[in-house]
Parts: sequence; structure tokens; C-alpha cells
Amino acid sequence: MNTGVRYNGALLHGGLLRRLYHRWSLKLLLSELLAKRWMEPAIPFLLMWGLIAYFAAVTPNYASFANASALGRQFADMGFVVMAMGLVVISGGIDLSVGAVFAFANLTALMLLQMFHLPVPVVIVGTLLAGGMVGAINGYLVGYLKSRPFLTTLVTLIILRAVVDLLSQRYSVPLAMGSDRSWLWAYLGRGLALWTVPSNLMMLAVVGLVGHIMLSRSRPGWHLTALGSSRKAARHAGIAVERTLFFTYVMSGLLAAAGGLFYAARLSSTGSDTGAGWEVNALTAVVLGGVSLSGGRGTVARMLIGAVIVFVLVNGLVRMGLPGPMTSTALGALLLVAVGIDMKWAKNRLKTIQKIYLNPTVVELRPAPSTAADSGTPYAENDRLRDSREIGLDCVEGPEDVILDREDRLYCGTRDGLILRFSGPDFSTREVFARIGGRPLGMAFDREDNLIICVGGMGLYGVKPDGTVYKLTDETNRSWFKLNDDARLRLADDLDIAPDGKIYFSEATIRYEMHSWHLDGMEGRANGRMICFDPATGKTQTLIKDICFPNGVCTAHDGQSILFASTWLCSIFRYWIAGPKKGQIETLIDNLPGYPDNINRASDGSYWLAMVGIRSPAFDLAMRNPGFRLRMVKQVPPDEWILPGINNGCVVKFTEQGEVVESLWDPGGRKHATLTSMREHKGKLYLGGLENNRIGCIDLPGADPDWNGCDSYWGKPEVARDL
Amino acid sequence: MSKGMTSGRRGGLMLALLLLGACTVPPDTGQPVAPPSASTPAVSNLDFNGPEGSNALRARATAALKGKTIAWVPQALGLPLTEIWTRVMREEAEARGMTFEVRDSNWDATAGLQAVSSLVGERPALMVIHNPNVQIYAKELKRAEEAGIPVIQVNMVSNQKTAAYVGPDWHQVGSMLGEEIIRQCGSGSGKSGKVSIVQGELTSGVSIEQMEGLSASLATDKAIQIVSTQTANWDATKAHDITATVLQQHPDLCATVGFWSTMQAGAAEAVKAAGKQGEVKVYASGGEGKVDCKHVDSGLLTKVLSYDSPSQAKAIIQLASFILQSGVPPENLRVANYSTLRWMEKDHYDPALCYDWAR
Repeated sequence: MNTGVRYNGALLHGGLLRRLYHRWSLKLLLSELLAKRWMEPAIPFLLMWGLIAYFAAVTPNYASFANASALGRQFADMGFVVMAMGLVVISGGIDLSVGAVFAFANLTALMLLQMFHLPVPVVIVGTLLAGGMVGAINGYLVGYLKSRPFLTTLVTLIILRAVVDLLSQRYSVPLAMGSDRSWLWAYLGRGLALWTVPSNLMMLAVVGLVGHIMLSRSRPGWHLTALGSSRKAARHAGIAVERTLFFTYVMSGLLAAAGGLFYAARLSSTGSDTGAGWEVNALTAVVLGGVSLSGGRGTVARMLIGAVIVFVLVNGLVRMGLPGPMTSTALGALLLVAVGIDMKWAKNRLKTIQKIYLNPTVVELRPAPSTAADSGTPYAENDRLRDSREIGLDCVEGPEDVILDREDRLYCGTRDGLILRFSGPDFSTREVFARIGGRPLGMAFDREDNLIICVGGMGLYGVKPDGTVYKLTDETNRSWFKLNDDARLRLADDLDIAPDGKIYFSEATIRYEMHSWHLDGMEGRANGRMICFDPATGKTQTLIKDICFPNGVCTAHDGQSILFASTWLCSIFRYWIAGPKKGQIETLIDNLPGYPDNINRASDGSYWLAMVGIRSPAFDLAMRNPGFRLRMVKQVPPDEWILPGINNGCVVKFTEQGEVVESLWDPGGRKHATLTSMREHKGKLYLGGLENNRIGCIDLPGADPDWNGCDSYWGKPEVARDL
Repeated sequence: MSKGMTSGRRGGLMLALLLLGACTVPPDTGQPVAPPSASTPAVSNLDFNGPEGSNALRARATAALKGKTIAWVPQALGLPLTEIWTRVMREEAEARGMTFEVRDSNWDATAGLQAVSSLVGERPALMVIHNPNVQIYAKELKRAEEAGIPVIQVNMVSNQKTAAYVGPDWHQVGSMLGEEIIRQCGSGSGKSGKVSIVQGELTSGVSIEQMEGLSASLATDKAIQIVSTQTANWDATKAHDITATVLQQHPDLCATVGFWSTMQAGAAEAVKAAGKQGEVKVYASGGEGKVDCKHVDSGLLTKVLSYDSPSQAKAIIQLASFILQSGVPPENLRVANYSTLRWMEKDHYDPALCYDWAR
């Protein structure tokens, strides 16, 4: 398979360095990197590793296995408490009682074990239940009685602290003098999982992983996040706000209790300062990790990153022998700086992406062939489209592609995601054939008369003759070394079907969306690809990567190859899918005078090609100068940009050998500006346009009056039925 | 300066006693000593370089101490007690060529635990530990001694005993305070006999043992009535609040006793605020140097049972010096060096107890 061929290479001129500079732009990498969601906590992540590296450098034996193991064991309790806090913060609340629950769980566990001499499993369940109960009280108050989380959990904190103090007054001395005997208890506190990892750290990892999956991949997790983003919107979306909140606080209680349980097992300490001030530390960690205090934004990983930062910093500064108040001050200062940077980061990241995302590259085209009326070229301007008849005038918006079925009914997609069908005499009957959504673009009928459609923003869809919509594919194989997730289809553009039923379709760009496709033109980069979907296996496979805005796709008359247009390179390529040249790519036409769009078969064995715009020397020059274009898009409002001229309607006919034989024009684009598609059907040519308010129709004198696309592809109806 | 010298000499004496006691443990190897030869008189036969010569002794001490690290984990710096300890220990350690390192856990037992735990990994020559409670460091202390790091515990002892403990016999402190209270408030004193006890951190070794001694002592007099036993967790503000409440409930309170003078100063302020200074006796134990003197002078604290923290600090380093030079494995040592207890009362105290760490 001949993937990864760079077509524009052949067409490029000028300094190699300059071309390379623009093609392998560092900014490109940076902008795509910044756009990743996991880049949101980049600052805390770097800070974490920076701190670890720093302390490893200044503290002897820091980067040793024994130290890592010891630190990990001490970190785990705090990790649980931070997660308890983080979950509630994501839900848009706050749980100040986590430290108190931690202390309460610690005392409960020790009492159950040493005073009531209960078996360890019962102690575990009992302790978690105790924490869950406190969480349930918080959750009931906050969720169902709608009390304010801050005050509610503050009160819980105070009451629970008092309870812990009272219990400690009574029992802490005998508890402090007691000792444990159970191996399971010892394992919880001191054991190693997998021979190397402290048991509590392993448990934290497991809980963290489950929590991460819950939060990011499950319905309750999405509900929780949605709740934090906007409680009102969540309620309107039908989320059970009360119940979700209730269980969030229960989870928080459980997590804090788990931390307390491990702490109890590890230290058997009933000191009165157990968990004191941990709510502040947990909150610090959560905020440092980049979980938004206003809710709705955060992951388990971020909470734990924050927790590691706080832990490593406090631990490291104490180890460096800094006086205690200095440590607190350093923590506070760091929090301030981190929150400041994080605010700026969160605010400016998207802005920065916007600023640097567009990375123009060099596109050098030869001077375009003349289109002057008296030039004598096949492109010579004429007015053969001017007298086209209108179909559905003002009843259709943006029919990018048009197609006709065996019963001479006319279909088109519209801007609002509908598939319209026109039928009857003069196509006067307009009906909504299907509602797909997205932006329906290229269309083709398959052997079973299903209408297959490329839907921008969604993927490849089909509509059965009875109007039922079904999905064919919305993703392809992900390429390994690409930051941008290219598995999801962003802008499936046009398709055609090979005789074996395989569907070949183009995805114009993987860097831009339907609404910003013109920016891809500004960039001129090979961001598109050709993809094949095989209905027999249901597999989707990227065939050719790095094509410059692949657009129209058409199966050659003999079914041996696929023709596709590259809009910004003004070229048509042929990709062999059968025969001796299978897998090879050839340039069929280059240096067109306009920007090619859809390609479709003509009745005489040649092909129709729609030109969405006509080249101008000014724009060609702009395409040679990436720096100019970059300055333009940055400094000039979009309505003053130099864009490809799309104020002409033009259809071109070319032969199997790539020879352009004639062109049909609507000069000035009075009726068919932005002409993107044309379809020959029974001696007539139907015209569609991306921005048009009509479908056009002209007679083709001399064309076969019986020829139609369905027969051309799948044979006459009787034959089709025999098959 | 002369005060410091005095206490230094006393500390040296203590060490000498201690060494005497300790040296009897290993049996005398009976190394034969060469008899003085006839040609030279014994008095001029000063062999500095022999195996028993002074140079060898010095070399042994130097090898055991020089460049070695003593790590110290106080519950919190910034207090008179811990500052005095830290300062004197540092002076004493550095005078012996040792490095002295401090890890301030700043009232955070968990941070302290991390500090102790990481110290075990860093392997200092010896650790001096101030336990926030009897349990939290226990396993780490065990681990430290298993790794061959001797641990000296100061004032607040852990459930895990280690090479040495330096600090008061808290049972005795409780008893002495109790006896003093009985003298002032007990039968025949004509007072109400009502006593309020302000404990420190309940789970600290100080509180547990002191409470034992105090309760036992107070129980000997039927006239004594303990009206309140509450914990202020070493916090003067809490002690103040507790005492203010107790004074409202029992305006005829005879005495309040606290487990640490810095904390009990809060209780004393409450007594003063209630206009009962002098009337309600305020007792505590402490080693806060000049702060204790000030409190006693101003009448805020009626009497303070001092454990002389600078001497404690010296004792710690002398013990450390002994342990390191002796080479005895730490688990074979379980030494208690109980601090001398001395009463401080207005106009009746040794000015040497007024150590000023900030000078």
C-alpha cells in the first residue's frame, strides 16, 4: 500500500529549507499538543516532576527504592483524603469534613479492633460504614435539603472533631498503649503488594483507577461532572441532582474513611491532631492539581498530581531542615503561584491554540491556464449555465451534493442536516427524506439503492430507501505518531463505491472542522486522507494519508481506480484499486484553473468536475508566502482576507486520460456560485452548491437520454435484481 | 556565662557517673599492662602513643564522633523548650565535631513521621526524637534501631523504647506536683480542696505517666477533689478557655495544675483575668528557661517544677557521645537518664534555670 505519499512535493518549488521549515513546523506540534485535554494539568504535572527532581538532587538517598517505598506508604493515606475532597469539588461543592472523617475512621478502626476485638474484615467494613454514614449525612443535607456545602461540612467537621475528642478523652490512652496481633491488620499497615508496592499505595492506585474510569467513562461520573459545570443545566438534562450529590458525599466519606483505616493500620496512633488541617491540605492539593474550585473540571489524575506536589513539598522541606513555619509559608506561596499560573494557563491555553494553530505552508502552483472567453482553451469562460432551471429555489440551503435515483427523484443534503427529496413534475414536490444531522456532503447509491452519505462532523452514514438512517462508520484506524486524535472522522467529504461494494471516501482535513474548513485552505497543508470502508467486514481503514484537502471522489468507469480531487493543489489524482497498478497513485490532472470539488461520471465515458472557485494570481501568490498568510489571518478581520474566488460557477469535463475537453460557466456566479457538485441524469445535468439556495438543471444536448448513475454503477434494474 | 559553666560541669559529672555504671557491663578483658622497667622511673614513663595512651583515646573518640550526624526531630520549633534543646545540643554536638541536623515537624505528627521515616533511610549516626504521642513513631523507631541507628528519646517517650530516654520521670513529676497541691489545698489547709487538671496531648507519654503519678498522689488526701480533668493539647489558648470555664463553675477553685508551663501560662492568664491571681494556685512543670522565670517572677505561675532543659540537652549529647564511642548495639541499651527536678518559686530559684536561648 502506497500510504504516506506527499503529493504536493512534486508541485513545490523554491528553497528546500524554506519548504521544510514550513512543513515541519514546531508550532504545528505545539498547537496540537496544547489542544490535547491531558495538557490542561501540564503545569502541575511539570511542577510535580520538578519538585521530585529537585529533592532527589539535594537530598541524599532520595531517589532510592527504599525511600520511594517509604514515601509511597506515607502518601497513600493522604491520597485517599485528597480524592475524597476532589470528587466533591468536581461536583461543585466542598467537603471540609474529610480530615475529621479521616480522624473519626482512624479512631473507629482502632476501637473496633482493640476494644471490641472484632475480626479485621469486620473492622474494615465497620470503619468504611462509619465514614459512609458521615458522608450520607452530608449528602442528605446538601443534596436533599439543599444546604450550602461549605457551611454544612464545616458543621460536620466541628461536630465530628468534638466526637473524636470526646472518644479520645475516654479511650485514647488504653488504645495508645494497645497493640495489634492480626496478620491482616499488619498487612494493611505494613504489607507489600506484588512484593514491592506498599499495600496502601496499591489500594490507592486501584481505587484511583476505578475512580478515574467512573469519573471519565461512566454515566454517574458524567452526571457528577455535569452537575459541577452547571447544576441548572444538569437538572434540565434530566440528571437526578439530589441523588447524584448524595452519593458524591457518600463516596467522599468512604474515601476519607479508607484513608483513616490505612492510617490506623499503619500507625495505631490516636493522637488528637490526627487529620487536623488535612481538609486544607486536601483542598490545596486539589486546586494545585488543576481541579476547578467552581466545579465541573477535574480528573482523579489531577487530584493525585496535586496530592503528590503537596506531599513531596512538605516532606522535602521538612527533610531539608527548614523551620516549620517556613514550610507552611513555602506551601502557601507555591499554592499562590500555581493557582496564578494555572488560571492564566486555563484562560490562555485556548487563546494560544487559536493563535498558533493555523500554520500556513508553501503551496506553489504554476501559472494557471487562461480562462478568458477568447483564450481558446477548454477553460474559456462561457455562459452555458446561465440558463439553468431552478429546482427548489429558496427551499433548500446549501445542497453540497445532488443525486438522482432510478425513479428520477432528486436528493440533496442541506446545511441543517436534512436529506431532501424532490420529485414529481419539475421536481415540485419537496419532502424531507431523512434527518441525519451534521453536515451532509457527498452522496452515492449502493447496489441495494441505499443512499450512502458523507456527513461532515459525523462520519459515513446510509439511508435506506424507506428513509431509515444507519451509521456505517465514524472512525478509522488511529495513526501511531500523531498527537491529534485522527481516529474520529471530522470532515468526511465525498465518497464513491467500487464494484466490490467497498466505499472509498475522502476526509478533507483532520485539523479543522466543517465550520472552519476555509482555514485549512489558508494553511494549505496536507491534512486530509482517503479512507476505505468495507461493508462486508465493517472495517474502516485509512488508505492514503497526508493529502491536501481531498475532496471529490469518483470510481472510474472501468471500476479499476478511484479518482480524487485535491482542492488546494488544483489537481486530480488516480488511485488504483485493482489491476496491475493496484495501490499506486498517479497525477491525472494538475494545474487546474480553479479549485476542484466533486467528480462524477458522464454518460460518454468521461467525467464531470465541479470547480468551487477560480484561481486568481493574487491568491496563488499568497499561497507561495506562508508568512504573508499568517500575518493576514492574525492581523486582518476574516472578511478582509484574500480567499479563493468563489464567485464563479464552473463545471469541467475531462476524459479518462485526464484531458479537459470542455467547461460550462456561470460567470459571476449569479445562479451557481460555489458550485460543488453536478450529476448527469438522463440527458440533463443537475447542479449543487455548498452555499446555494437552489439546485440547477441544464439540458445536455447530445447526451445519452437514458444514461443514469445507478445503471452506470450497478447495471439495469433487471440485472441488479438477478444479482 | 558563669551559669552555663556551672550547669556544664554538673552535666559532666552526670556523664562520669553514667560511664562508671555502663563500664561495669562488659567484663574486664584483663589486658596485661607492661610493668615499668627498672631503668626508668614510672612517673616519667608517660606513653602518649601506647594502646592505653591519651592519643589512642583521643583517636578513638574522634573516629567515633567527628563528622557524624545527629538528627533531631522536635514536635515543633519556636518554643522556648525546643529552642533551648536545639541550641544547646547544636553547641555541644558541634563542639565534638559532629554535625547537627534539625527536622521541624511543626506540630504535624504526620510530617514528623515522614521526617523520622526518611531519616532512617538517610542513616544518621544517631537520632534524637521528641515523640508527639506514644504510638505514632513506634514502628519507625524500631526500624531505626534495627538499622543500627541509636535513638535517644527526649521527654516524651514512645511505646517503643530505644537506646536511651532523657527526660523527667513523669510519674515522679506527677507525685511531686500532687504533694505540693495537697500541702496547699489538702486537709487542714482551710481551702476548698478543688483541683483542676489541664492535661497535654492525652496520648503523649508525658500525660499518661504524669496523670498516673498525680492521681495516685492526690488520692492520698480525701479533702482533694478533682473538679475537672481536661486536655488542652499543649495549647495555651485551650488551657485558658478550659480554666476560665472551670473558674466560673468553681469560683472557690484551689489550684490548677498543667502538664507544661507554656500551656499552663494560658490557664494562669484565665486565673488572672478572673482576679484570682495568688488565690488560685497555678502549678506546672517545664523547662522554658527565662520564660519560666518571668512567669514565676510575675506571679502568673505559683510554682514551676523545672527539669532544666539546657542540662537535658547536654545530657543527650553526652549520652550520644557515649553510645557512639561504646559501639554497643542500640538494642542492647535501654538507658534512662532522668532529669533532676527542681522547684522554682518567686524569689526562690536557681538563676541558672533562667537560660536565655535567644541571646
